[in-house]
Amino acid sequence: MMLLYGCVVLAGLAALLGFYRLLRGPTPADRVVALDLLFAVAVLLGIAAALITGRTAFLDVALGLALVGFVGTLAWARWIDQRAAREKEPS
Amino acid sequence: MNLLGQGLCLLGAVVLLIAAWGVVRLPDALSRQHAATKAGTLALFAFVLGAGLLMPELAWLGRLALLLMVLLLTLPLASHALARAALRWGKEEGGKRS
Repeated sequence: MMLLYGCVVLAGLAALLGFYRLLRGPTPADRVVALDLLFAVAVLLGIAAALITGRTAFLDVALGLALVGFVGTLAWARWIDQRAAREKEPS
Repeated sequence: MNLLGQGLCLLGAVVLLIAAWGVVRLPDALSRQHAATKAGTLALFAFVLGAGLLMPELAWLGRLALLLMVLLLTLPLASHALARAALRWGKEEGGKRS
């Protein structure tokens, strides 16, 4: 049980590093990479919450977060793609 | 069984922290994305496996197997789309590494 709390602390540190890159990242792609990482941290925290409380509902939360993260990353990647194509157009 | 599960959980958390460290330290978007996706997938894989070993019941194993399947199917796809977008963005910036 103590070890799971240690995992939560490590995941929190990873989330802090991810937030640094999310705020700092020079290109939009860097920010989306950081968002992807934050979703991975959220899935891990969901599983840890399920293990600590013993409720399987948190596993469903983790599953939902994984799906939302996938769709979100795809949507942002498409947006970056289209913006790169649009900026090529005038020149 | 219990010890192995705990070890896998700890391994997952540590590898995720290393992935985040790579996202902060590596020089450009493509290498950051490589760190986040490869190490992140390994971390989640190890953590889900560890959780399955800690709670060997049907309700847990079914959900964890579904979660693992979803993660292993979607993470490479998202990573591929993101890498392509980062590459095209980099070309627009005149190939300068930022």
